[in-house]
Amino acid sequence: MTTAVFDVLDGGPLTTVQDAGRPDWTHLGVPESGAADPWSLAVANLLVGNAASLAALEITLVWPSLAVRTATTIGLAGADLGARIRGGRPLAPGRSHRLVVGDILEMPGDGPTAPSTGSRAYVAIPGGVDVPVVLGSRSTCLAGGFGGLDGRALRQGDEIAAASHAAHSISEAPPRPELVWPAPDSGWLAGGGADRATLRAVAGPAGGLDQLVTREWRVGSAADRVGVRLDGDRLAEGIGGETTTHGVPWGAIQVPPDGRPIILGADHQTTGGYRVVGVVISADLPLLGQLRPGSVIHIVATDRAAALAALEERRAALVAGAAALRDAAGWGALIDSAGG
Amino acid sequence: MPGSGSLPDRAMRDPEPGGVSASSAPTYEPMGDAGLLVTLGTTVAATMAERAQAIAAAIAAGRGAAPGVGHPIPAHASILVPFDPLAIALEDVIALARRAVVSADAEPRSAGVAPGASSAIEIPVRYGGAEGPDLHVVAELHGLRPADVVELHASASYRVLFLGFAPGFGYLGGLPPTLVTPRRASPRERVPAGSVGIAGEQTAIYPLAMPGGWQLIGRTEAVLFEADRSEPALLRPGASVRFVPVSGR
Repeated sequence: MTTAVFDVLDGGPLTTVQDAGRPDWTHLGVPESGAADPWSLAVANLLVGNAASLAALEITLVWPSLAVRTATTIGLAGADLGARIRGGRPLAPGRSHRLVVGDILEMPGDGPTAPSTGSRAYVAIPGGVDVPVVLGSRSTCLAGGFGGLDGRALRQGDEIAAASHAAHSISEAPPRPELVWPAPDSGWLAGGGADRATLRAVAGPAGGLDQLVTREWRVGSAADRVGVRLDGDRLAEGIGGETTTHGVPWGAIQVPPDGRPIILGADHQTTGGYRVVGVVISADLPLLGQLRPGSVIHIVATDRAAALAALEERRAALVAGAAALRDAAGWGALIDSAGG
Repeated sequence: MPGSGSLPDRAMRDPEPGGVSASSAPTYEPMGDAGLLVTLGTTVAATMAERAQAIAAAIAAGRGAAPGVGHPIPAHASILVPFDPLAIALEDVIALARRAVVSADAEPRSAGVAPGASSAIEIPVRYGGAEGPDLHVVAELHGLRPADVVELHASASYRVLFLGFAPGFGYLGGLPPTLVTPRRASPRERVPAGSVGIAGEQTAIYPLAMPGGWQLIGRTEAVLFEADRSEPALLRPGASVRFVPVSGR
């Protein structure tokens, strides 16, 4: 039983359905996928009373144009790309927005109006986006052409439906109240946003992280869900290179023989044969997912204890935010879903 | 010989952990704050990949008792074990991996071979022409006729070492040394799904259309990956593979 919520008038350059990902098929070469910024996916979901991991829309740089077919409330998180309700108010992230039938969500024709920082916005609907579960997830696997909406990005004519009466939906009593994420966004915005970002990394199996931390990098034009290429002064010979192909995690900083680092994103290949000089810490993966071409970044080395403390802090912030929303909206089980 | 990609067939069925290189003590090092890399060595050999598969299977079997441990990813000579560092300590993941190494090494090594692996998976291939635009390049490089390359490529028996890189992409061992060929100087922007290629000591089939720098010698209509199938990947680690030349369309 589903409810059509949006008609897609224009899909935008890359809008996909993503949830918390598909981690159990990596041994077949299937990428994890899932939200490139998992923090914002969680916030968007929690704002409408969903479990943090439900499927939502991930918007890349430019909004799609969506016509509202069923009155609903959306949770919006991630980058402020300058979207508005046509003829109405701006669609600010970090809060929920009540929508009525006929509203059109879009980016005004002149392009982004907001001083945008970041590259991806997340739209959650109560119950989550209803697409078939493929290999344990609703996430779109662009490389494999499956998951989400037929394994592809949204396009004109698509219909976005909500899974009503979903087991993970906390409250089905419409309409949802309009809520504001309580804390300042301590996800990827902490640390100055994505235009001048600092990514913390722990050393990888191959040495050389110390060479990356001393300089400024710029995200190149090759920046997508698979990974971002970094431009900067070329690294000394011998830092990059090939190695026996091994499994690689999200956030791995690979340096190929040409000395230009690549940081792997949510859709990264499961195995790789370039040297891994470091791995971005889990707490900074949301920020990694918000980088865009031209973002200036610094990489700083940190240790395991600091990485875990940062992750702990991040999860505690999510749980605290969920608790505050619960108090504001009178939701019960919301807090339980935030930790996972 | 390490890296030759030439696989002595008898080693695959060796009940003992294969030679020294495939049975030496693994190393355990963190791969980021949420991963453990278990490294068995650096050589590319069927015995090594088989050991990695067996250890990965033992780790996967131990996940039930170790909440927070993700699905292990075996490769040529290593296993990446992802985990939630707030749910389980690195030390406990290492302990799990160590136990998995012991139990995997105690089993006859055929444990790593997929059921049905004794019968080879046959991949029908149209060699050359528009579907194998680099066949003549490979032939010229080795001073062979294109027909010799086809004959060599199709007469060898290959072993699926592991899956990675892309959904359903199998790393195959067993390319005849005569056919070892460097990648193209400039990669193609789009290699069609089903393309059969050679790069270095590897031969493989592109499961999906993607960019790539392999020397393309043919194409198959076999579907390497289908998410809706009960077995999504056609190739299974440990399975043997043969390429069968077909003509026409």
